[in-house]
Amino acid sequence: MGGVIALAFTGGMLVTLSRQLNGRLAMDSSALGSSFWNHLVGLAVLLAVALVAGGLWPQGTGDAPWFAWIGGALGVVFVAGGSWLIPRLGAAMTGGLLVAGQMLSGVVLDLLRDGGRNAALQAAGVALILAGVALSRRRQRKTAA
Amino acid sequence: MNAAPRPRLTEIAAALATGGLLTFMLLCNSAMAAATTPLFSSLAAHGVGTVVAAAALAAIWLMRGARAARPNGPRRTPLWAYLGGVSGALTVMVTSYTANSALALTGTLALGLAGQVVLALIFDMTGAMGVKRRLPTLTELGALGAILAGTALIILARGGA
Repeated sequence: MGGVIALAFTGGMLVTLSRQLNGRLAMDSSALGSSFWNHLVGLAVLLAVALVAGGLWPQGTGDAPWFAWIGGALGVVFVAGGSWLIPRLGAAMTGGLLVAGQMLSGVVLDLLRDGGRNAALQAAGVALILAGVALSRRRQRKTAA
Repeated sequence: MNAAPRPRLTEIAAALATGGLLTFMLLCNSAMAAATTPLFSSLAAHGVGTVVAAAALAAIWLMRGARAARPNGPRRTPLWAYLGGVSGALTVMVTSYTANSALALTGTLALGLAGQVVLALIFDMTGAMGVKRRLPTLTELGALGAILAGTALIILARGGA
Protein backbone atom coordinates (compact mmCIF):
# COMPACT_ATOMS: atom_id res chain seq x y z
CA MET A 1 0.00 0.00 0.00
CA GLY A 2 2.84 2.40 0.86
CA GLY A 3 4.24 1.95 -2.62
CA VAL A 4 0.96 2.82 -4.29
CA ILE A 5 0.59 5.88 -2.06
CA ALA A 6 4.04 7.09 -3.05
CA LEU A 7 3.23 6.40 -6.69
CA ALA A 8 0.00 8.46 -6.59
CA PHE A 9 1.91 11.30 -4.90
CA THR A 10 4.54 11.04 -7.63
CA GLY A 11 1.79 11.25 -10.25
CA GLY A 12 0.90 14.67 -8.90
CA MET A 13 4.54 15.77 -8.82
CA LEU A 14 4.88 14.79 -12.47
CA VAL A 15 2.04 17.18 -13.34
CA THR A 16 3.90 20.06 -11.68
CA LEU A 17 7.21 19.02 -13.27
CA SER A 18 5.66 18.93 -16.72
CA ARG A 19 4.08 22.37 -16.26
CA GLN A 20 7.36 23.87 -15.02
CA LEU A 21 9.31 22.46 -17.98
CA ASN A 22 6.70 23.70 -20.45
CA GLY A 23 6.63 27.09 -18.73
CA ARG A 24 10.40 27.37 -19.09
CA LEU A 25 10.19 26.42 -22.76
CA ALA A 26 7.45 29.01 -23.30
CA MET A 27 9.65 31.73 -21.77
CA ASP A 28 12.14 31.16 -24.61
CA SER A 29 9.55 30.69 -27.38
CA SER A 30 5.77 30.86 -26.94
CA ALA A 31 3.04 29.20 -24.88
CA LEU A 32 1.63 27.55 -28.00
CA GLY A 33 5.10 26.42 -29.05
CA SER A 34 5.64 24.75 -25.67
CA SER A 35 2.28 23.02 -26.03
CA PHE A 36 3.30 21.70 -29.45
CA TRP A 37 6.56 20.24 -28.12
CA ASN A 38 4.79 18.80 -25.08
CA HIS A 39 2.36 16.91 -27.31
CA LEU A 40 4.94 15.81 -29.89
CA VAL A 41 7.43 14.48 -27.30
CA GLY A 42 4.63 12.85 -25.29
CA LEU A 43 3.34 11.23 -28.48
CA ALA A 44 6.78 9.76 -29.21
CA VAL A 45 7.01 8.27 -25.70
CA LEU A 46 3.48 6.84 -25.85
CA LEU A 47 4.03 5.40 -29.34
CA ALA A 48 7.10 3.58 -28.06
CA VAL A 49 5.20 2.26 -25.03
CA ALA A 50 2.24 1.17 -27.19
CA LEU A 51 4.53 -0.67 -29.59
CA VAL A 52 6.17 -2.54 -26.70
CA ALA A 53 2.80 -3.22 -25.07
CA GLY A 54 1.66 -4.61 -28.40
CA GLY A 55 -0.84 -2.65 -30.40
CA LEU A 56 -1.33 0.86 -31.75
CA TRP A 57 -5.01 0.44 -32.63
CA PRO A 58 -6.92 -1.44 -29.91
CA GLN A 59 -10.37 -2.92 -30.38
CA GLY A 60 -13.25 -0.54 -29.78
CA THR A 61 -11.53 2.44 -31.37
CA GLY A 62 -14.21 2.62 -34.04
CA ASP A 63 -16.98 2.58 -31.42
CA ALA A 64 -15.67 5.62 -29.50
CA PRO A 65 -18.03 8.63 -29.64
CA TRP A 66 -16.87 11.62 -31.74
CA PHE A 67 -16.10 13.76 -28.72
CA ALA A 68 -13.61 11.16 -27.48
CA TRP A 69 -11.33 12.49 -30.24
CA ILE A 70 -11.29 16.17 -29.26
CA GLY A 71 -9.60 15.81 -25.85
CA GLY A 72 -6.24 16.44 -27.53
CA ALA A 73 -7.40 19.75 -29.01
CA LEU A 74 -8.56 20.91 -25.56
CA GLY A 75 -5.23 19.70 -24.17
CA VAL A 76 -3.34 22.03 -26.50
CA VAL A 77 -5.13 25.02 -24.97
CA PHE A 78 -4.73 23.60 -21.45
CA VAL A 79 -0.95 23.16 -21.74
CA ALA A 80 -0.51 26.54 -23.46
CA GLY A 81 -2.56 28.18 -20.70
CA GLY A 82 -0.41 26.60 -17.99
CA SER A 83 2.78 27.72 -19.75
CA TRP A 84 1.45 31.27 -20.00
CA LEU A 85 0.52 31.33 -16.31
CA ILE A 86 3.66 29.78 -14.73
CA PRO A 87 5.97 32.81 -15.16
CA ARG A 88 3.16 35.18 -14.12
CA LEU A 89 1.70 33.45 -11.05
CA GLY A 90 4.36 30.94 -10.02
CA ALA A 91 3.89 27.19 -9.88
CA ALA A 92 1.82 27.01 -6.69
CA MET A 93 -0.81 29.63 -7.55
CA THR A 94 -0.99 28.39 -11.15
CA GLY A 95 -1.68 24.87 -9.91
CA GLY A 96 -4.12 26.04 -7.25
CA LEU A 97 -6.19 28.20 -9.60
CA LEU A 98 -6.25 25.54 -12.32
CA VAL A 99 -7.56 23.02 -9.78
CA ALA A 100 -10.12 25.61 -8.61
CA GLY A 101 -11.39 26.06 -12.18
CA GLN A 102 -11.48 22.31 -12.71
CA MET A 103 -13.44 21.67 -9.52
CA LEU A 104 -15.96 24.49 -10.06
CA SER A 105 -16.69 23.39 -13.63
CA GLY A 106 -16.86 19.76 -12.50
CA VAL A 107 -19.48 20.56 -9.87
CA VAL A 108 -21.56 22.52 -12.42
CA LEU A 109 -21.32 19.66 -14.90
CA ASP A 110 -22.39 17.16 -12.21
CA LEU A 111 -25.41 19.31 -11.34
CA LEU A 112 -26.43 19.44 -14.99
CA ARG A 113 -26.00 15.72 -15.51
CA ASP A 114 -27.39 13.97 -12.46
CA GLY A 115 -28.15 16.54 -9.81
CA GLY A 116 -24.96 15.88 -7.89
CA ARG A 117 -24.31 13.75 -4.80
CA ASN A 118 -23.78 14.93 -1.20
CA ALA A 119 -24.96 18.40 -2.19
CA ALA A 120 -24.17 20.03 1.18
CA LEU A 121 -20.57 18.77 1.18
CA GLN A 122 -20.06 19.88 -2.42
CA ALA A 123 -21.57 23.32 -1.68
CA ALA A 124 -19.18 23.75 1.25
CA GLY A 125 -16.31 22.80 -1.05
CA VAL A 126 -17.40 25.35 -3.66
CA ALA A 127 -17.67 28.06 -0.98
CA LEU A 128 -14.13 27.31 0.25
CA ILE A 129 -12.73 27.38 -3.28
CA LEU A 130 -14.45 30.69 -4.09
CA ALA A 131 -13.10 32.14 -0.83
CA GLY A 132 -9.62 30.98 -1.79
CA VAL A 133 -9.87 32.54 -5.25
CA ALA A 134 -11.11 35.82 -3.74
CA LEU A 135 -8.26 35.74 -1.21
CA SER A 136 -5.69 35.34 -3.99
CA ARG A 137 -6.71 38.82 -5.19
CA ARG A 138 -6.03 40.46 -1.81
CA ARG A 139 -3.05 42.78 -1.51
CA GLN A 140 -0.17 40.94 0.09
CA ARG A 141 2.76 42.28 2.02
CA LYS A 142 4.57 39.66 4.09
CA THR A 143 6.21 36.52 2.84
CA ALA A 144 5.59 33.36 4.78
CA ALA A 145 9.21 32.36 5.19
CA MET B 1 13.95 38.16 -2.85
CA ASN B 2 10.60 39.53 -3.93
CA ALA B 3 7.22 38.41 -2.72
CA ALA B 4 4.88 37.26 -5.46
CA PRO B 5 3.03 40.19 -7.01
CA ARG B 6 -0.74 40.27 -6.69
CA PRO B 7 -2.31 38.26 -9.54
CA ARG B 8 -4.22 40.31 -12.10
CA LEU B 9 -7.89 39.67 -12.69
CA THR B 10 -7.16 38.55 -16.26
CA GLU B 11 -4.62 36.00 -15.00
CA ILE B 12 -7.06 34.59 -12.45
CA ALA B 13 -9.83 34.44 -15.05
CA ALA B 14 -7.49 32.73 -17.51
CA ALA B 15 -6.44 30.18 -14.89
CA LEU B 16 -10.03 29.37 -13.89
CA ALA B 17 -11.12 29.05 -17.53
CA THR B 18 -8.12 26.86 -18.36
CA GLY B 19 -8.84 24.67 -15.35
CA GLY B 20 -12.48 24.46 -16.43
CA LEU B 21 -11.31 23.20 -19.80
CA LEU B 22 -9.63 20.29 -18.01
CA THR B 23 -13.01 18.96 -16.87
CA PHE B 24 -14.13 18.66 -20.49
CA MET B 25 -10.78 17.30 -21.62
CA LEU B 26 -10.95 14.53 -19.01
CA LEU B 27 -14.54 13.80 -20.06
CA CYS B 28 -13.40 13.30 -23.66
CA ASN B 29 -10.30 11.32 -22.73
CA SER B 30 -12.15 9.02 -20.34
CA ALA B 31 -14.75 8.33 -23.03
CA MET B 32 -11.89 7.17 -25.24
CA ALA B 33 -10.32 5.19 -22.38
CA ALA B 34 -13.67 3.49 -21.71
CA ALA B 35 -14.05 2.50 -25.39
CA THR B 36 -10.40 1.39 -25.75
CA THR B 37 -7.58 1.55 -23.17
CA PRO B 38 -6.12 4.38 -21.03
CA LEU B 39 -2.87 4.10 -23.01
CA PHE B 40 -4.60 4.50 -26.36
CA SER B 41 -6.70 7.38 -25.00
CA SER B 42 -3.54 9.28 -24.08
CA LEU B 43 -1.88 8.31 -27.36
CA ALA B 44 -4.85 9.63 -29.37
CA ALA B 45 -5.00 12.83 -27.31
CA HIS B 46 -1.29 13.48 -27.87
CA GLY B 47 -1.59 12.69 -31.60
CA VAL B 48 -4.58 14.97 -32.12
CA GLY B 49 -2.95 17.62 -29.92
CA THR B 50 0.27 17.55 -31.95
CA VAL B 51 -1.66 18.08 -35.20
CA VAL B 52 -3.85 20.84 -33.75
CA ALA B 53 -0.89 22.69 -32.18
CA ALA B 54 1.13 22.41 -35.41
CA ALA B 55 -1.80 23.75 -37.44
CA ALA B 56 -2.27 26.66 -35.01
CA LEU B 57 1.46 27.49 -35.11
CA ALA B 58 1.42 27.36 -38.92
CA ALA B 59 -1.63 29.64 -39.06
CA ILE B 60 0.06 32.17 -36.76
CA TRP B 61 3.26 31.94 -38.78
CA LEU B 62 1.36 32.62 -42.01
CA MET B 63 -0.55 35.54 -40.52
CA ARG B 64 2.52 37.19 -39.02
CA GLY B 65 4.79 36.50 -41.94
CA ALA B 66 8.06 34.65 -41.71
CA ARG B 67 10.05 37.63 -40.48
CA ALA B 68 8.47 38.01 -37.06
CA ALA B 69 7.92 34.30 -36.63
CA ARG B 70 10.45 33.51 -33.91
CA PRO B 71 10.47 35.65 -30.80
CA ASN B 72 13.85 34.26 -29.84
CA GLY B 73 14.77 34.90 -26.25
CA PRO B 74 18.23 36.13 -25.28
CA ARG B 75 19.21 32.76 -23.85
CA ARG B 76 19.55 29.38 -25.48
CA THR B 77 16.85 26.92 -24.59
CA PRO B 78 18.34 23.85 -22.88
CA LEU B 79 17.31 20.49 -24.30
CA TRP B 80 15.71 19.36 -21.03
CA ALA B 81 13.10 22.10 -21.40
CA TYR B 82 11.60 20.01 -24.22
CA LEU B 83 10.92 17.07 -21.89
CA GLY B 84 7.60 18.26 -20.43
CA GLY B 85 5.85 15.76 -22.67
CA VAL B 86 7.79 12.84 -21.15
CA SER B 87 6.59 13.79 -17.70
CA GLY B 88 3.05 14.22 -19.04
CA ALA B 89 3.07 10.80 -20.68
CA LEU B 90 4.38 9.18 -17.46
CA THR B 91 1.58 10.84 -15.49
CA VAL B 92 -1.03 9.00 -17.55
CA MET B 93 0.58 5.63 -16.88
CA VAL B 94 1.08 6.26 -13.16
CA THR B 95 -2.44 7.54 -12.51
CA SER B 96 -4.21 4.89 -14.57
CA TYR B 97 -2.32 2.30 -12.50
CA THR B 98 -3.07 3.85 -9.09
CA ALA B 99 -6.73 4.59 -9.97
CA ASN B 100 -7.18 0.84 -10.45
CA SER B 101 -5.38 -0.03 -7.20
CA ALA B 102 -6.75 -0.01 -3.65
CA LEU B 103 -6.46 3.78 -3.70
CA ALA B 104 -9.17 4.05 -6.36
CA LEU B 105 -9.82 7.35 -8.08
CA THR B 106 -10.47 9.28 -4.86
CA GLY B 107 -7.11 8.38 -3.35
CA THR B 108 -5.32 8.98 -6.63
CA LEU B 109 -6.85 12.45 -6.96
CA ALA B 110 -6.21 13.47 -3.34
CA LEU B 111 -2.62 12.23 -3.22
CA GLY B 112 -1.94 13.64 -6.67
CA LEU B 113 -3.15 17.02 -5.52
CA ALA B 114 -0.80 16.88 -2.53
CA GLY B 115 2.14 15.90 -4.74
CA GLN B 116 1.36 18.72 -7.16
CA VAL B 117 1.27 21.40 -4.49
CA VAL B 118 4.32 20.24 -2.52
CA LEU B 119 6.55 20.19 -5.59
CA ALA B 120 5.09 23.49 -6.87
CA LEU B 121 5.98 25.22 -3.58
CA ILE B 122 9.50 23.77 -3.74
CA PHE B 123 9.84 24.98 -7.36
CA ASP B 124 8.63 28.48 -6.44
CA MET B 125 10.95 28.78 -3.44
CA THR B 126 14.00 27.54 -5.33
CA GLY B 127 13.30 29.20 -8.68
CA ALA B 128 13.62 25.83 -10.40
CA MET B 129 14.38 25.61 -14.12
CA GLY B 130 14.99 29.28 -14.66
CA VAL B 131 11.49 30.37 -13.67
CA LYS B 132 11.69 33.33 -11.27
CA ARG B 133 12.23 32.43 -7.61
CA ARG B 134 9.44 33.61 -5.32
CA LEU B 135 8.41 33.13 -1.72
CA PRO B 136 4.72 32.44 -1.21
CA THR B 137 2.99 35.16 0.82
CA LEU B 138 0.75 34.36 3.78
CA THR B 139 -2.22 35.53 1.71
CA GLU B 140 -1.20 33.20 -1.08
CA LEU B 141 -0.80 30.25 1.29
CA GLY B 142 -4.22 31.03 2.78
CA ALA B 143 -5.77 31.12 -0.69
CA LEU B 144 -4.09 27.82 -1.63
CA GLY B 145 -5.18 26.22 1.63
CA ALA B 146 -8.81 27.21 1.11
CA ILE B 147 -8.80 25.99 -2.51
CA LEU B 148 -7.24 22.66 -1.50
CA ALA B 149 -9.62 22.15 1.44
CA GLY B 150 -12.59 22.88 -0.83
CA THR B 151 -11.23 20.52 -3.46
CA ALA B 152 -10.75 17.76 -0.88
CA LEU B 153 -14.39 18.15 0.23
CA ILE B 154 -15.64 17.88 -3.35
CA ILE B 155 -13.46 14.83 -4.10
CA LEU B 156 -14.78 13.23 -0.90
CA ALA B 157 -18.41 14.12 -1.71
CA ARG B 158 -18.15 12.56 -5.15
CA GLY B 159 -16.40 9.45 -3.93
CA GLY B 160 -14.23 9.53 -7.01
CA ALA B 161 -17.05 9.58 -9.56
